[in-house]
Amino acid sequence: MHDRFAIEIDNLIKSYPGRSNPTLNGLSLKIPAGSLFGLLAPNGAGKTTTIDILCGLKKFNSGTISVNGFKVPPELSKIKRIMGLVPQDIALFPLLTGRENLKVIGGIYGIPKADLKRRADELLERFGLTNSADKLVSEYSGGMKRRINIIAGLLHIPQILILDEPTVGVDAQSRNLILEELIKINREGTTILFISHYLEEAECICDRVALMDGGKIVLEGHPRELTDSTPECRNLESLYIKLTGKQMRDTYE
Amino acid sequence: MSNRIKYLLYKDFIMLGRDIAGIILMFLMPVALVILMANLQDSTLNAVKGTKIQLLLVNRDKGELGEAIVQEIVSTGLFEIDTDGADTIFTPAQMEKRISPAENLLGIFIPENSTELIRGNVQRFVISAFNGIQKEPLKDEIKLSIILDPQAKGSFYAVLMSTLRERAQKVQFEYILKEITSQVNTISPVVVSTGNFTGEQFTIDASFATRTGSNIVPNSVQHNVPAWSLFAIFFIVVSLSGNIIKEREGGSFTRLLTMPCSYTEYLLSKAITYLTVALLQFALMLLIGVYVLPLTGLPALELGQSLFSLFFVGFASAVAAIGYGIAIGNIASTSQQSSVFGAVSVVIMAAVGGVWIPQFLMSPHMQIISKLSPMNWGMSGFYSLFLKDEGFLAILPESLALFAFGFACFILALYSRRQIRSNF
Repeated sequence: MHDRFAIEIDNLIKSYPGRSNPTLNGLSLKIPAGSLFGLLAPNGAGKTTTIDILCGLKKFNSGTISVNGFKVPPELSKIKRIMGLVPQDIALFPLLTGRENLKVIGGIYGIPKADLKRRADELLERFGLTNSADKLVSEYSGGMKRRINIIAGLLHIPQILILDEPTVGVDAQSRNLILEELIKINREGTTILFISHYLEEAECICDRVALMDGGKIVLEGHPRELTDSTPECRNLESLYIKLTGKQMRDTYE
Repeated sequence: MSNRIKYLLYKDFIMLGRDIAGIILMFLMPVALVILMANLQDSTLNAVKGTKIQLLLVNRDKGELGEAIVQEIVSTGLFEIDTDGADTIFTPAQMEKRISPAENLLGIFIPENSTELIRGNVQRFVISAFNGIQKEPLKDEIKLSIILDPQAKGSFYAVLMSTLRERAQKVQFEYILKEITSQVNTISPVVVSTGNFTGEQFTIDASFATRTGSNIVPNSVQHNVPAWSLFAIFFIVVSLSGNIIKEREGGSFTRLLTMPCSYTEYLLSKAITYLTVALLQFALMLLIGVYVLPLTGLPALELGQSLFSLFFVGFASAVAAIGYGIAIGNIASTSQQSSVFGAVSVVIMAAVGGVWIPQFLMSPHMQIISKLSPMNWGMSGFYSLFLKDEGFLAILPESLALFAFGFACFILALYSRRQIRSNF
C-alpha cells in the first residue's frame, strides 16, 4: 500500500477566456507515491491543461496542488527538479543528435558530466537507441523519436514522471518496449502518471486509473476492481464509453 | 556564466551551425548584396559626389585669354582635362567627333588669336571713347565653343559658362584698364601706373561643414558597406524569430520551461548566439569593404581612426536587431507570420533608414521620416566614423538610441510572454 501521495489536486478550477464552461471544473485527484497511475479521458476533457498546470506552464483560477509536498506555483522550482515530463509532442531539438539532446537536457538539470554520460548510455541501451545515438533526431523513425523523448524525461532520475500519450504512432515492438520499461522504472521507485487514449495499455500496466470527463474525475480505482464492479462492462474501454458517452467532447465551443 | 546558459548556448550554436540555409541567408546574401550594390551605385554616387569628369580642351590661342581660361578650369577641380587634341583638332566641328560618354563628356575650343582680337576690340573702343566718338567701333567676333554630350548634366554646362565668362571678362577688364592708362599717360604730365591693380576686390572662403554632415557625400563603398552590414544584422530577425517559434511549435520550448530553466535564460542564450553571428557578419562585411571591393575597381574602405567605435556601433545595432527579433518571436503566433512580418519590416526599415537610397538623396520630408528607423541611427553612426573621421563621442547618441530600442523590444517580449501566460 502507498502511504503518501506524490500528487494531490484539490478542487482545481481553470477557465479560459471566452469559454462558457471551465475546462477543469473542480478536479480532485490523489496519486499515491510509487504508483503507476493512468489518467484516461476523451479529447478536450482537460488532460493537457492539467499537465500544464502541474508543470507550471499555465495558471489556474482556484484550488490547490501539491507535488511531493511542494505547492504549485510557489515551489515550482523545487518541483521542476523532481518531476519529469514526456510531452505528447517530440519535444526535442531535431538538428541535434540523440546524444547531444541528452547532453543539453542533462546539463540544464545540472547533472555532473560523468554521471550524465553514464545515465544517458544506460537509458539509450534500455530503450534500444545505442546505435543511433549519434544520428540527428530529425532522422529518427517515429518509434525512435518516442523513445528518445521518454529518455529525455528520465535522465535526471525524477521522482515523478508524467507521460502524455507516450505510445502514439509507434509500432507494436516499440510500444511493447516502452510499456515494459515503464513498468521497470515504476518498480525502481518512480511514480508514473500515464495519460493515454489506449485503454488496454492502461488496463495492462497501471495499478490505479482515473476516468476524467467534463473537467473532473468521474471514477477512480484499480482497473480490475472497476470492471468487476460493473458486470455489463467486459473491459475498461466499455466502462469508459458507458461513463463518458458516445458524444464527441472536442467540438468547438 | 551559469551551467544552464552554457548548455543552452551549446544547443543554439550547434543548431545554428547545422542550419545551412540559415547560414547562407545570414552570411552569403549580405556579401553578395554589398558587392553588387556597391558596384551598381558607384557611378550614381560619384556623379552626386562630383567626381572629375573628362573635358577635352583645345586652346589654339597663344595669348593670355586662352591661358587664363585653362588655368581657371584647372582650378575648379571638377574636370580631368584632356589636351590630346592640340595637334589634331582645328575646328569645333572636329572636336564634336571626340565628344561621347566613352571619351569626353565636354569639350571647349578656344580659337586662334582670341587674345589679340580682344586686345584689338578694347583698343578701338578706348581710343574711340577718348576721341569723343559716340558710335561704337567695329568689333571682331571671338567665338569660344563649348560642346556637350547630351548625357552631360546641365550643371556642368553652367559651371563652364560661368568660368569662361568670368575669365573673358577679367582679361577684357585688364586690357581696358591697360588701354585707358596708356591713353591717360599720353595726355598726363604724371605717369599713371595700374600695374599692381588686379581688379580682384574680394575673395570667397568656402569649406565643408564637419558637424552636420549634410554636405558630405559618401562614395559607394563608404555607403554600401555599413548599409548592407546593418541590413544583414537586422535580417537575422527572420532567423531568430523563426527559431523561437519553431521551438515553441515543436514543443522543445515547453520542455525547457518544465526544466530548471527560466525564460530569461532561454532568451539570453538566443541573444548571445545571434549577437555573435551579427558581429561576425559585421567583421566579414568590413573585410569585404577593405579587401574585396578594391578588386572590383572600387576604392577600399577606410575604417577611420577608432576601430573600437566602429564595433561599438555594430554591437549597438546587433542589440537593437536581436531585441526586435525576440519581440517578433514572442508576439507572432506562427513561423509564417514571423518570417513574413520580420522580412517585410526589415526591408521597410532599410528603405526608410537610407540603406538602399542614401538619406541625403531623399526628399526633405522623407529625411525626417528616415530618422525613425533604427537603421538610420546606425547609418548616421557609421557616417560619423567613415566620412568625418570622428571618435567615440560622436557615435554615442546613435548607439544609445540603438541600445534603448533593443532593450525596449526585449522588455516587450518578456511582457507579452507574461500576458500570454496569464491569459491561458
